[in-house]
Amino acid sequence: MMHLFQIRYKNTQGTFMRILMAASRRGLSMSYVQAMPSGDAFEARLLLDVTEKQSAQLYRDWHATVDVLEVSSMLALEEGWAAGTGSPQDVASPHMPPASVGAIPYNRTAMA
Amino acid sequence: MLRGADIVLRCVRAEGVDLVFGYPGGAIMPLYDALEGSGIRHILSRHEQGAVFAAEGYARSTGKTGVAIATSGPGATNLMTGIADAKMDSVPLVCITGQVRSVLIGSDAFQETDVFGMTLSLTKWSRLAKTIEEIPDIIAEGFYWARSGRPGPVVLDFPVDLLKAKVEFKGPSTFLPQAKNTNGHAHPEFWPKLQGMLQAAKKPFILVGAGAKISGATDGLVGLLDALQIPACATVHGLGAIPSEKPYYTGMVGMHGTKASNMALHETDLLLVFGARLDDRVTGEPSRFAPDAKIVHFEIDPAQLDRVRACELPIVGDLKQTVPQFHNEVKHASLPDWSDWRGIACGLERAEVDSRGLAQPAIRFLDALFAEMPDEAFVITDVGQHQMWAAQRYRKNSPRGFITSGGLGAMGFGLPAAIGVQLANPGACVICISGDGGFQMNLQELATVHRLKLPVKNVIIDNKYLGMVRQWQQLFYERNYAETDMSDNPDFVAISKAYGIHAELMGVDAVAGLKVPPSTAKSLARFLQSPEPELLVFECPKEANVYPMVPAGAALSEMVFEEE
Repeated sequence: MMHLFQIRYKNTQGTFMRILMAASRRGLSMSYVQAMPSGDAFEARLLLDVTEKQSAQLYRDWHATVDVLEVSSMLALEEGWAAGTGSPQDVASPHMPPASVGAIPYNRTAMA
Repeated sequence: MLRGADIVLRCVRAEGVDLVFGYPGGAIMPLYDALEGSGIRHILSRHEQGAVFAAEGYARSTGKTGVAIATSGPGATNLMTGIADAKMDSVPLVCITGQVRSVLIGSDAFQETDVFGMTLSLTKWSRLAKTIEEIPDIIAEGFYWARSGRPGPVVLDFPVDLLKAKVEFKGPSTFLPQAKNTNGHAHPEFWPKLQGMLQAAKKPFILVGAGAKISGATDGLVGLLDALQIPACATVHGLGAIPSEKPYYTGMVGMHGTKASNMALHETDLLLVFGARLDDRVTGEPSRFAPDAKIVHFEIDPAQLDRVRACELPIVGDLKQTVPQFHNEVKHASLPDWSDWRGIACGLERAEVDSRGLAQPAIRFLDALFAEMPDEAFVITDVGQHQMWAAQRYRKNSPRGFITSGGLGAMGFGLPAAIGVQLANPGACVICISGDGGFQMNLQELATVHRLKLPVKNVIIDNKYLGMVRQWQQLFYERNYAETDMSDNPDFVAISKAYGIHAELMGVDAVAGLKVPPSTAKSLARFLQSPEPELLVFECPKEANVYPMVPAGAALSEMVFEEE
């Protein structure tokens, strides 16, 4: 399932690379990658075709990365993205990953 | 004005470091030039991997941050295995590497490697210094991340020109994180939910991992377990956290764990996990791990939650805080009587090691050795069959007393790690148990032992095979012993003597018979009590196996006890 992950981070040495490596170590192909300033931090956007389990793993790995501030994701509509109908913002609706295992750990972590 | 190298050492000293391990070379020479008078003792290893494993041994036995130093290029690449090992086993480690001159970075200069890039996936945090002014901040932040939260490795890469340059030094920095606070208490609402789960549980079980020891929570945890009286096991890194004489203790869990632990883990309906990653060597086939259990996971690192199975109740925080919180609630709670379940889980029918396994000479040898060992001794193992035999037979109640490369399983770990342990604990009995394969991966460190006159007691369980691989070949590859034969091993006694270390050979006859002969016990006592370095080679039968064993892909309940 295609997900657009949004990761806010402090743009310190290696942080963006660590964000990318969480995906690359799992052999995920990165269909779309963007990094840009966002307020007082930076934001990386990754479009990835992931399973529920992989989505949960990515959440956990990114959250544990020093200087990653926040992780969120949107479900990207595969048909629209494949047809190249626009930017990820156009084809994505904002909600958490469909996997309960993906969404819940992050919320719990934030709680605890 | 101070050189960058002096600033590095002053800042490292300010972090409480007085002992480092390393190996000099071109790009790190300014740091070595500044060592004298720095207040930091440097231990020269004979290979950078020896240095980083020794730093790990120092850190694992004390809880302090270990420091390893290497030069650029091959020096740095030789650190990699140790860095990966520290990541897997949550060891606070700072590696300081020299780098080629700043202007040469990226030019494939002599002894240049992209240390920062290579270690990104192995480290918790890393920096390539770009100015001399930022050195104090880099060191302060590096040490903070190495030891905070779930500890781990940090790499600090310093170009040689920064180490040589001079600047006015304003003193060491301190670092206070702004982004996240990784230590803390459990969410206050954890107890009502946990209490309900405990009330409903018929077969609760507890699994204790390294986190309990790293956080210094073992005393509090044992108090909690005494109050709960729930059957409890330990991972290989959790050994020593629960006193072995406790009636609720079922021993080690996992691929070579006890029948009692593995069966209870398979049958439990409520699993309380304290500071464990639940990796595949602990869980067996993940999809069949604790199939009927709800899981409550006490863990400092949120990244470890739900890794194998979704847990019903994650309790994120430092066990030093969360365990007393839990205990305080238990004191005022009325909980079910689980004595019937405890009788089953800890009963004689599930005795810790199968009698067929106990008869093995290697097991009998280790039992005899450990019987002569003082309670506060440190046992360091390499990786392989001897590691699992030692883990199965280790009975001491010393939270940091059993040290092994568990997550990465790095052969060659034992001897250099024992050096670090002995230096950190000068008066302690330090026993390094290796196999004949692993010992040969870092035996050059015997030179370090000899130079420093460290009374490390080296034991080689010699079966003239890469025993664990051979065991798998026997059981799962139709005895095709491909490239595991080591029947032409060198004469370890002669090698040891060449390094100036007294060595002896012991055969299986020494542990033959129903009781270990007094002469063997006496010989082992002399070995352990010697004030000098020693090496003892125990010649083990070539095809001895480690049992019980959970085959790869099997559930914990499907352990085997002998070749079928």
